[in-house]
Amino acid sequence: MIAKALRNIPLVDLKKESLRWEQVYKVLTEPKPDIVPTKREIVWKKNKSTLYYHPAKEKKYQIPVFLVYSLLNKSYILDVGEGSSVVGGLTERGYDVYFLDWGSPSYEDSEITLDNYILDYLENGVKRALRHSGAKEISMIGYCLGGTIAAIFTSLTNLPIKNLVLATVPIDFSIGIVPDKWLNGLQKGTINFDRLSEVYGVIPSEIMYGMFRGLSPVSVSPWVNLISRAHDDEYVKKWRRMDKWTKDSASFSGAAFKQLFNDLYKDNKLLKGELTIGGRKVDLKNIHCSFFVFSTSRDTLILEKQSLPVMDMVSSEDKTYEVFDGGHVSLALSGKFAIFADKWLCSRSQ
Amino acid sequence: MSKEKNYDPLQGFRRISEMWERQLNGMLYMITDNNEFVRLLSVGTDSHARYMERLRKNQELMAGVMNIPTKKDIANVAKLSLQTEEKIDILEEQVWNLQDSLESLSTGNVAMFQDMVTIIKQIKEESAFIQNEIQNLRQEISQLTDIKQELAALKKLVQPVQTKKRGNELVLTGTGSEDGRG
Repeated sequence: MIAKALRNIPLVDLKKESLRWEQVYKVLTEPKPDIVPTKREIVWKKNKSTLYYHPAKEKKYQIPVFLVYSLLNKSYILDVGEGSSVVGGLTERGYDVYFLDWGSPSYEDSEITLDNYILDYLENGVKRALRHSGAKEISMIGYCLGGTIAAIFTSLTNLPIKNLVLATVPIDFSIGIVPDKWLNGLQKGTINFDRLSEVYGVIPSEIMYGMFRGLSPVSVSPWVNLISRAHDDEYVKKWRRMDKWTKDSASFSGAAFKQLFNDLYKDNKLLKGELTIGGRKVDLKNIHCSFFVFSTSRDTLILEKQSLPVMDMVSSEDKTYEVFDGGHVSLALSGKFAIFADKWLCSRSQ
Repeated sequence: MSKEKNYDPLQGFRRISEMWERQLNGMLYMITDNNEFVRLLSVGTDSHARYMERLRKNQELMAGVMNIPTKKDIANVAKLSLQTEEKIDILEEQVWNLQDSLESLSTGNVAMFQDMVTIIKQIKEESAFIQNEIQNLRQEISQLTDIKQELAALKKLVQPVQTKKRGNELVLTGTGSEDGRG
């Protein structure tokens, strides 16, 4: 009877447990890990921005890919290490990748506006990528706010954009994940960041980090996840890279911050067709290239409803919209991003 | 004790913490979703900005008195280097345009030379044909001159016989008249 009862008591794997706590101790005491990027070379530099070229492991496609990431976070999330890199995934699938890292602005960059980012940085970067690759056309991939920027840019430029891929992209800023009253206050002008932007010049990364933290103030699940899977060395490595990126926010130029909140969040000018960039009205109807938008089902930062309107705004005949399983950040870290993008791009990149 | 069943002591804790996190965030969301909080946020942001503004002004004033550069001065120097960078970019693009126009010019020249070569070849072929024709004509002319000469020789041969015939005809007419008179 006693023996039978003892047989039903589950056993704690001591080896696994000691490894678990050893790893947790390591995470707590060791410095943050270095991020090893996919093989790359610098094509062009302007101010804090850098255009990287990541050659394909075995080139299969003539049309290179140009990656644009959000201005709100650091871009290395798209190339955060083998196995979870968007850039690495695309180069493995035979694409030459050009990746524009916006960099983190300093005090002297306080006057950089969205107009500058789009026309002076992005357009010049795409020009250089086209020149460097010798390709006649290029595919643009924009992720998060980078998608909004890529869409605005494609609607304005005369450069040959063959395909446009937007992942988890905010187009309609009248809806969001923040409480309704906050959104209301922002739209009515009760909450205004103009003075703060002006006095800081450049919004420090600490404030940006605080803003993101404010979206979900209680966040213990990453630590619980780490502890419960700390015996898995690969998971710990990925966790540490992700943890480094989460806490390593980018600063934001004051002028661009004002523009972002006033023109996009407050007045929703992009959706209304009233946004002007470089003195020209942004009309997404000017997008005629092949067009692919995808959202993720568990996205807690950009809602599907924010992306959907863009499908009716562009003039492209070849357009696709899909929802994949995943979260906003896990889309990049799980390596799925490159799979989804490749599935659509492969037949359009010859 | 059984070795088949391994007990994960953190599984339950993980589930509870996830639930707890979601509930707490939800509660904070609800607590802050009101106009009072929005106004508080607005006042807080504004007063922070005002405080920072005053701090910056005093900082500038102190730096001016102490004759030391401020962040603004350093930013102005950095802006100069950015201007240089922009000028280099513009120059680079101009070099590209020049390269492109030179390339198109040289490809244009090559095409022109190729055209010239084909035209010269055609001229050569045509001149060879014309030369051939001229030679044929020359041969025909020489043949014609031969014929002419032969004709002239024939003419010469025919002329004495004709004069003889004419002489005989004159003698016969002379005899007849004498007979008529007598």
